[in-house]
Amino acid sequence: MSTSWSTTDKATSRPSAPGPSDDLRRKRRAAKVRRLRTGLPGLLLVAPALAFYGVFVLRPLAATVQYSFYEWNGISTATWAGVDNYVRLLTDPDLLGPILNALQLIIYFSFVPVVFGVIAAAIIRKMGASRLAGISRTVLFLPQVIPLVAAGIMWTWLLATDGAVNQVMRVIGLDGLTRAWLGDFDTALPAVGVIGAWVNVGLCMLLMLAGMTKVDPSLYEAARLDGAGPIREFVSVTLPAVRQELGVAIIITVISALRSFDIIFISTQGGPGSSTMVPGLEIYYLAFFEREIGQASALAVALTVLVLIVVLPLNRLTRSDSDS
Amino acid sequence: MRSAALGAIGLLALAACSPPGGDEEPEETSAPTTSATTSASGEISCGTEEVTVEAYVETGFPVFAELAAEFESQHPNVTFNIREDQFAVITQNAPRILADSETDIMRLPQMSELASDGLLLDLDPYAEAFGWDQWPSSQLEQMRVDDEGRRGSGPLYAMGLNYSMTGVFYNVELAEQIGMTEPPATLDEFDAYLQAAADEGLTPLNQFNGGATGGLAFPLQALMASYGDPSEINSWVYQQEGANIDTESNLAAAQHLNGWIESGYFADDINAIDYAQMMARFIEGDSVFIFTGDWESGNLDTQMPGNAGFFLMPPLEEGGQLGAMSAPLTYGVSANAANPDCAATFLDWVATDETARTIAVEIGGSHPMGPADAFMPELDESSVTAQTLAAGATVAENNGTMDFIANATGSIYAQSWTPQLQNMVAGQQTPEGLLETVQSDYLEQIGE
Amino acid sequence: MNTTARELWTGRILLIVVMAVTIVPFVSLFITALHPPGTYPPGLALPEEFHWNNFLLAFEAANMGALLQSSFIIELGVVPVAILIATLAGFALGHLNVPFKRTLFIIFVLGLTLPFEGIIVPLYYQMREYGLLNTQLAIILPLIGLFMPFAVMWMRAHFVNMPQELSEAARMDGASTWQLFWRVHVPLSRPAIASLAILLFLWTWNQFLLAIVLVDDPEKRTMAGALGAFQGQWGTDIPLLCAGSLLILTPTLIVFLVFQRQFVAALLQGAVKG
Repeated sequence: MSTSWSTTDKATSRPSAPGPSDDLRRKRRAAKVRRLRTGLPGLLLVAPALAFYGVFVLRPLAATVQYSFYEWNGISTATWAGVDNYVRLLTDPDLLGPILNALQLIIYFSFVPVVFGVIAAAIIRKMGASRLAGISRTVLFLPQVIPLVAAGIMWTWLLATDGAVNQVMRVIGLDGLTRAWLGDFDTALPAVGVIGAWVNVGLCMLLMLAGMTKVDPSLYEAARLDGAGPIREFVSVTLPAVRQELGVAIIITVISALRSFDIIFISTQGGPGSSTMVPGLEIYYLAFFEREIGQASALAVALTVLVLIVVLPLNRLTRSDSDS
Repeated sequence: MRSAALGAIGLLALAACSPPGGDEEPEETSAPTTSATTSASGEISCGTEEVTVEAYVETGFPVFAELAAEFESQHPNVTFNIREDQFAVITQNAPRILADSETDIMRLPQMSELASDGLLLDLDPYAEAFGWDQWPSSQLEQMRVDDEGRRGSGPLYAMGLNYSMTGVFYNVELAEQIGMTEPPATLDEFDAYLQAAADEGLTPLNQFNGGATGGLAFPLQALMASYGDPSEINSWVYQQEGANIDTESNLAAAQHLNGWIESGYFADDINAIDYAQMMARFIEGDSVFIFTGDWESGNLDTQMPGNAGFFLMPPLEEGGQLGAMSAPLTYGVSANAANPDCAATFLDWVATDETARTIAVEIGGSHPMGPADAFMPELDESSVTAQTLAAGATVAENNGTMDFIANATGSIYAQSWTPQLQNMVAGQQTPEGLLETVQSDYLEQIGE
Repeated sequence: MNTTARELWTGRILLIVVMAVTIVPFVSLFITALHPPGTYPPGLALPEEFHWNNFLLAFEAANMGALLQSSFIIELGVVPVAILIATLAGFALGHLNVPFKRTLFIIFVLGLTLPFEGIIVPLYYQMREYGLLNTQLAIILPLIGLFMPFAVMWMRAHFVNMPQELSEAARMDGASTWQLFWRVHVPLSRPAIASLAILLFLWTWNQFLLAIVLVDDPEKRTMAGALGAFQGQWGTDIPLLCAGSLLILTPTLIVFLVFQRQFVAALLQGAVKG
């Protein structure tokens, strides 16, 4: 931009008349002014949303990055810590563990419900407009609308030593396997995962169903005529059609695994030991309990970046050919 | 993508500007201190105008609410607005509540950081005005914090509603069933009873150890007192120079505890049991012994009258040093309190008023604070309340009181003891590793 | 035909099993809520006597009246404002020529993945600076901001699909941008707006993290946040806790069942486009 003003000397001394380039530049500038003027109402309309987003999301986001380079207890003046907080993040098992746990939760929060969602959707689609199909669509979605806190409370009770899960297991003769699911090192994380899976199945099912209803029924008939079984039929007809929805389901559920907080806060508080500690909860503890604001912020930055790293490639995958 | 990069640069640019928290430091730390002495009339009281005292207390301990109700009826202009949470929640919320809300009086978790961060009101002016400094000094010791965050000396930052003491409660019927007619005199005898209970198919011991509350710290500390010197544990809890939890005698205690775990003396699911569940099961007769404190005495006298007994953790050899974890039920006044005088008046009243002392004993189960010769309510000799009060006197005579090892720093309980003890139950931590880890966390937390 | 029939039956049975697994936790919660307060009922056992009174007890213990009021204040503060400004922005980004459109779009899109935990710490200090801690505004203001990426993208996706001819025709008639928006587009966007409103309502109701961090007093929180506090206080009284949980989650079920059709349609559209 600034070059167009500073080169006066040479420009004037040159013999060439106002050439096409000059003309073009002026035109461009005029176009820009026009664009701004016609664009002004649009900008004004975006402004309030942008203002809220800027002040209450982008500003704290920037502050998170800022805090992460300091050592601060939230009360006295902070001291510059450079990358210390990040170094500790990568070397301290207490901080690395939660990240690994969150990654492991992806299996339960995302993979399991997606699989169940696909199966449920395939069954429901076949039933067409039957009553059972309609009811099951509603029922399976219920866990999605209630507060996660409530889901956590329900399941904590179900998974307790005297809870329904152990009760059922005793009835079917699995006495030997009953345990306090959320209090056992080997089962606490999967048990928390079950809660997440329970919550997410409905969403996945609904997304898959939406994708499947777009498929031309004649394709299924054709597949059947070719002698395809339900599995072949699913792989060759259904799956390609629901790719986009599948991608969305995976993205949403993966994010829900990485940012899990409510369920764990209620059911295990990260324990036993730190076997169910996740980044969200660790950030909360560090910031408001141990008052290591800098360390909490570094973990928050890491979590934000982690979500982006995991989600961006998934996003590209789902969009590449379906959008063209 | 380009805009994302630009955004990132913007964030970094912001990160480089002035450090957070710089501008608001002074006002928070200097405000309190003098309010007690500046009361116009010189008399500290709740005055005569309508006052609402904001209180934040622990769920499951009705003693505060009972005391508050009695105080309200004696002082009609005072109303208590009580909010309750479980102790673990209070622990997490404490710094924020004290810094950013108008709570006058609250149940305190470990307080050294709260005090050194200037969040608590220095109660010394009140102690002087009310004559608390004439009481046996050991009562207030645990609530004094010096400028380095060490407890034991320095300004007074909290006050007790009473001081509680811990030990072993047992179910009398079940104890008879395993042949225990009187409390064990040595640790060996106690071990034998535990084994006998296991042989009978009973659950010998139950203890809460789930969630954020590692209750195995109770038996661990009791064992530490059997094997070692209670005063060494105190100096560790008070953050005295060079104090170490990782000693030979403590290791022996941790190994003994691990032995109990390995022998299957504890209920299988202790890592999932919370405090209330432990109590509910004990009252239902599901376990022979539990480790807890005299704050349950009143409750047990109502829920299982005549069927609950108490003894102090036995020493290694008969007649040896007795130790017990004993701590005031600490309540602090916020440095930002709107009604500090009234809060302090309440705390003084709790220790001196006869009705209040009766409530402290009958509902609270523990010995009230106050002068040594102060009023004590009459008690039924056979009640477990009477037993715990008597045991408390014994411990005091023996100089066996210790502060709770979970009170050494603000986060030692949640961050170290609890997860490490849960690990040990699951066989994922050794006694050696337990003490080593806790000691290194401790050093890190006190900044050495 | 035989194989198809068998498939159908296997399908039905599978579906019923999955439904049972979904429903059982609700049933367990309900049954447990009817046991005597203060007990630890064993699993799915029916109580000897139904303690319907627990719901009343929980209602009083949680001070549910005040909680409802607070939740509605927060809903009223968040949903209309968020809808209005997101619709404006979505309209502009989806239908008008806005300078830096691409950049603005990307800025909002990036926000879609942002975990709330990523900004919660500074948000606390920011609210403290504003003196808003412990007020409903401490939840309302950030929540509007946090909903913007989704809400703007949602409305943008809707407006992108509105035919340009419509606007051109209105322009020929001399309509200003505002008139175009208010008279032509908003009436045509009712379904999209209604769906967004339902989603935002539920998300606000269920918001937990902001509530527990920014507001101490449960009576000034969202419903989910209040439930957290209720658990913090009554977590040891299982029947009461279950009764309280039911009271707090029931409104979400009602909203869902009543608006089910819009809701499901909305979620599908939004998820795929957004």
